[in-house]
Amino acid sequence: MDISSLLLAVICLLGIGIYAVLVARNLIKVIVGLQVLVKGAMLALIAAGQIAGQPEVGESLALTVIVADTIVAVVGLALAVQVRRRFGTLDIKALSTLRR
Amino acid sequence: MTETNAILWLLATPMLSAPLIYLIGRIIIRLRDSAAENNRPGPGRGWLRVPGWLALASLLASFVPLFIAAQPVMRYGVARSFVGGVPLAMDGISLVLAATSLLLGSLVVLFSMPYMAGEAGEEKYYALLPAVISTIIGLGCANDFFNMWVWFEAMAVSSYLLVAFYTNERGALEAGVKYLVQSAIGSVMVLLGISLVFAQTHTLRLDAIAAWAGQPNMITLAAGVLFVIGFGVKTALVPLHTWLPDAHSQAPSGVSAMLSGIVIEAGLIAMLRALGNLPGGLPIWGQILLGFGALNMLVGNMMALRQKQIKRLLAYSSLSHIGYMLLGFGAAAIFHLQNPAAGGFFHLFNHALMKGLAFLSAGVLLYALHIASGDHVPLTVDDLNGASKRYPLAAFGLSVAVLALGGLPPLAGFMSKWQIFVGSVETRDLTMILLVVFAALNSVLSLGYYAPLVNRMYRKAPSAAVQAGKPVSKLMAAPIVMLLVGVIILGVWPGLIESITQTAGKNLAAMFSIPVAHLLPMIGR
Amino acid sequence: MLPILVMLVIGLPWLGALLVWWAGDQRSRQQHALAVGFSVVTALAALALIPFSQTVQTIVIPSSGVSGNGYGTFTFSPDGLGIFLAVVATVIGSLAVIFSVDYMKGEAQLGRYYSMVLFFIGAMAGLVLTSNLLLIFVFWEITALCSYALISFYNDDPKAVAGGMKALIMTQLGGVGLLLGAALSYGYLHTVDLNEFLAHADQLPADVLSVMAFGFLIAAAAKSAQFPFQTWLPDAMEAPTPVSALIHAATMVNAGVYLLARFFPAFADVPYWRDAVMLVGMLSALLSAIMALVATDLKRVLAYSTVSQLGYMVYAVGAGGVFASQFHLLSHAVFKALLFLSAGAIIHSVGTRDMRGMGGLGKEMPAVRVVFLIGAAALAGLPILNGFWSKELVLEAGLEGGPLWMWVVMLIGAGLTALYTMRCVWMVFYAPPANPLRHIHDAGPAMRSALFPLAIGTLTTWLLAGPFSEFLKGIGVEEETTLEIVMIVLREPATWLAVGVVILGLLAWWQRKYLQILTEPMQDLGVMAERSFGFEAINRTIVQTIQGWAEDLRGLQTGLLSWNVLAIIVSLVMALLIVALGAV
Repeated sequence: MDISSLLLAVICLLGIGIYAVLVARNLIKVIVGLQVLVKGAMLALIAAGQIAGQPEVGESLALTVIVADTIVAVVGLALAVQVRRRFGTLDIKALSTLRR
Repeated sequence: MTETNAILWLLATPMLSAPLIYLIGRIIIRLRDSAAENNRPGPGRGWLRVPGWLALASLLASFVPLFIAAQPVMRYGVARSFVGGVPLAMDGISLVLAATSLLLGSLVVLFSMPYMAGEAGEEKYYALLPAVISTIIGLGCANDFFNMWVWFEAMAVSSYLLVAFYTNERGALEAGVKYLVQSAIGSVMVLLGISLVFAQTHTLRLDAIAAWAGQPNMITLAAGVLFVIGFGVKTALVPLHTWLPDAHSQAPSGVSAMLSGIVIEAGLIAMLRALGNLPGGLPIWGQILLGFGALNMLVGNMMALRQKQIKRLLAYSSLSHIGYMLLGFGAAAIFHLQNPAAGGFFHLFNHALMKGLAFLSAGVLLYALHIASGDHVPLTVDDLNGASKRYPLAAFGLSVAVLALGGLPPLAGFMSKWQIFVGSVETRDLTMILLVVFAALNSVLSLGYYAPLVNRMYRKAPSAAVQAGKPVSKLMAAPIVMLLVGVIILGVWPGLIESITQTAGKNLAAMFSIPVAHLLPMIGR
Repeated sequence: MLPILVMLVIGLPWLGALLVWWAGDQRSRQQHALAVGFSVVTALAALALIPFSQTVQTIVIPSSGVSGNGYGTFTFSPDGLGIFLAVVATVIGSLAVIFSVDYMKGEAQLGRYYSMVLFFIGAMAGLVLTSNLLLIFVFWEITALCSYALISFYNDDPKAVAGGMKALIMTQLGGVGLLLGAALSYGYLHTVDLNEFLAHADQLPADVLSVMAFGFLIAAAAKSAQFPFQTWLPDAMEAPTPVSALIHAATMVNAGVYLLARFFPAFADVPYWRDAVMLVGMLSALLSAIMALVATDLKRVLAYSTVSQLGYMVYAVGAGGVFASQFHLLSHAVFKALLFLSAGAIIHSVGTRDMRGMGGLGKEMPAVRVVFLIGAAALAGLPILNGFWSKELVLEAGLEGGPLWMWVVMLIGAGLTALYTMRCVWMVFYAPPANPLRHIHDAGPAMRSALFPLAIGTLTTWLLAGPFSEFLKGIGVEEETTLEIVMIVLREPATWLAVGVVILGLLAWWQRKYLQILTEPMQDLGVMAERSFGFEAINRTIVQTIQGWAEDLRGLQTGLLSWNVLAIIVSLVMALLIVALGAV
């Protein structure tokens, strides 16, 4: 896989992820958007490894990110469960009681 | 324990104790629940305190390797160690971070034992606090980008759980969600920055990147910006700070103290390490720090001015104190001077003490007035009326804390601000001098919201909340007294921790300087 | 011996503050006793410093192991000027504390009151005895803290809290000038030691020295409630009256004059600085004299009068008459403390501060009337009393060192001083009583034992003029005997002109019925003066604007996650643009 397609994929993933986080109204969609973002970052790491001529470093970094990111996803989803229980909805507009 | 593996012990002690504490805590709860089901006598209330005491013990025990590891740092400026092939380097900056986090953490654990007594998930709390502290120490000691990111992410995850601790409260959940989403975006930006740097310099080690022979170009500049914004979300730079007032006010008071006192500062240190080691030693990074510093000081103070909830007010004020630290660090980064950076680190330490004192004293009042009655409403400014009669120590503690934060002598906050201001004027640069005047004016403005709190507490007519308040345990008093002593002593004798802060300042100034190897071609050698 | 005395003068009141707080509000008798004991011993220690005024000895407390860290070493070098002000602070402090035993009898939170007063006394002594700019700033701020705490002592009264906040913020704003000056001294000369600065001040670039000079002027003006910062002092009158006497008449407000006198040698040649100082003094003297003429609150009249007299001192410093300014400081401290404490006795008895509710008190309070009259005569500048000698010296210094038109204005001010003083005395003691059936008691024993020494002082401190000039030799004052000074004053024709103006002022009140043709066109001036010539409006506008902006800024915290994330993304884009443009 050549570098330019990798970079294109990175940009697409980042774009989709940011779009999802900005626009989504459902908390789960926001968390999924975060996941897509992180995947984009992982791909960027792999691409960087390729460019630097040390692909194994890039891949091991990406693997570590998977682990860390999974934990973040688990925590995020656990919070989402609690939000559903206490707020009765997953709409992030409802999560705006703390303001000013 | 030798000097070389002291760093290892320093990291391992709190980190390994975390799962242990959780396990023991859950076992005790299981035993208590099964005993209650079978109507047998089970572990009494004292046993429920065990996780707390274990957490305190592990943190206090970590002071020993800290002290041992500090010796080579003070003598040579750096101490190195290898942990399973990963090189760790502890320098003055790491020492400041480690010492502050251990000190504040121990006091917070002591405070939390009566505060969190009876809360659901208490054992998680006492497991998470040492975890957060060990990740912060690791962050400070990291020597390459990836290591740093891992510790950074671990710190973030532990703090998500602590912020959203009161899972039954809507406010805490909301704050936790926003914190998580924004912090994760910041992490992604940091990762992107790391990949850019890696692609450009072909290495992840910080010192190798700093010594990279190439010219700074768009890639490294973009990486730097990504680092600023990415770490900046965690450091609560304005306008990336929007998660902070919610998170710091909804978390349990001990956690608020830790967040304001050390977690956002850890983000700041990570950012400084990342920027300082970028190739080229460009002044733009220091200028960015100064720009954000000015923004933080102003917005932090202006937003705090109109707050009616105490913890939210204190949270916004943390923004402005990060601003003062950025002023000192920015001056050191651009002009390669040691004094403003030493002042910045001194302010980091002092701020942890003062903000810790403020949040813990507010926590005492919050506990006595609301939590002990089972209420989770926020502590408001009106609740403070006349609090000094029934809660003299908490009122005195909060008064000293806010006056110290406002920069009044003879308290610690004044001395560190003085060093930052005087050190920044040492640059003899007009912009810096104007920034110092701006910062001093901001400091005066902050008294506009700090001083009225003191006035309210010393009224004679108590508020309804104070009249209905419950008594307070002695264990909560001890950390407040210790912090009071610390804040006052450092205000009278600023030279007490001078050796540590000056070492850290020297490290920072050196970090942002152009490495010698780059200067050689210029000399024509 | 000297280091021990200096440590006692600063440390004893602080120890006393701690002990009074420790004793607890239940044991109020012990608190009274401790406060009086510590303040008296401190005063004695300060008096013991007098023989050391000519020995130049520096006491050093190391602040840290690292040099060049911006803190300097904590040095104290007591000289004549410093010891003089320390004596004034501690002696009048002890008299104010003694007075408080009666005045604050039965008040709640006494521990907080006494500890703040004692903390203040130690800090004020430290301010004038230290030679480290950092410590000057530290003690400066501590006095501001104590002043704020004592003005808002009655925390339940919103006016008191507002007055305290106003004093705190305004003096702190001025403090920025002092901070900047000290930082510049370190930045360019690598020292925060005042003596080293004075020795090397000519090595500073001219604009840096200018900034320092005007910064110090701003700090001094804010601290001494001079134009344009004069609005905090009248509002500070919400404090218990012994505090008004000590802090807002005799000691803290003198810190500004002290700063100007101390740094005069370094700044005298900065272009326009001396003119600015004289102008500030003159405007303060004139405007506040007019405001005192229309005020009806007894303490406010005294507050305006303090601003006015401080204006005379500042004017004298600007004209180069350092001796005259310090001598007037001495006289003013004594007679103003006397006036405030007597006012305290009056207010304590009558229960109101409004002079329209007084009148005819001479019958019920004969002792207070006598001492008040002595103080008032000194304020007006009637011969023989200490106020006369020092005010004439100030006017002469102004004539010698400053423009003539300013001297004329100051002379008019002296006449106005006599006028408002006479008005005040008449309204309190000689006017028909507002409520003839009230029950008034004269001052209690503790009050009288504080008032009596001050009255004696008012009659006699001018006799110390000679030894005083010898005392201040160290700062370049010419040494003369009392007789020489007296003859100088008596021989100047300007003196008798001034006495004439003063008598005119007194007559003007006495014959005010006949002068109504003159006063009617001045009604508008009176209304402007009541509104403090628009300064209150300026203060209010500034506060409201800032509060308004802060309230509007709160809208940024929308609470919506999408907006927060958008802010992050936008920041990233903007930062990238800025860096890219900067690199191009």
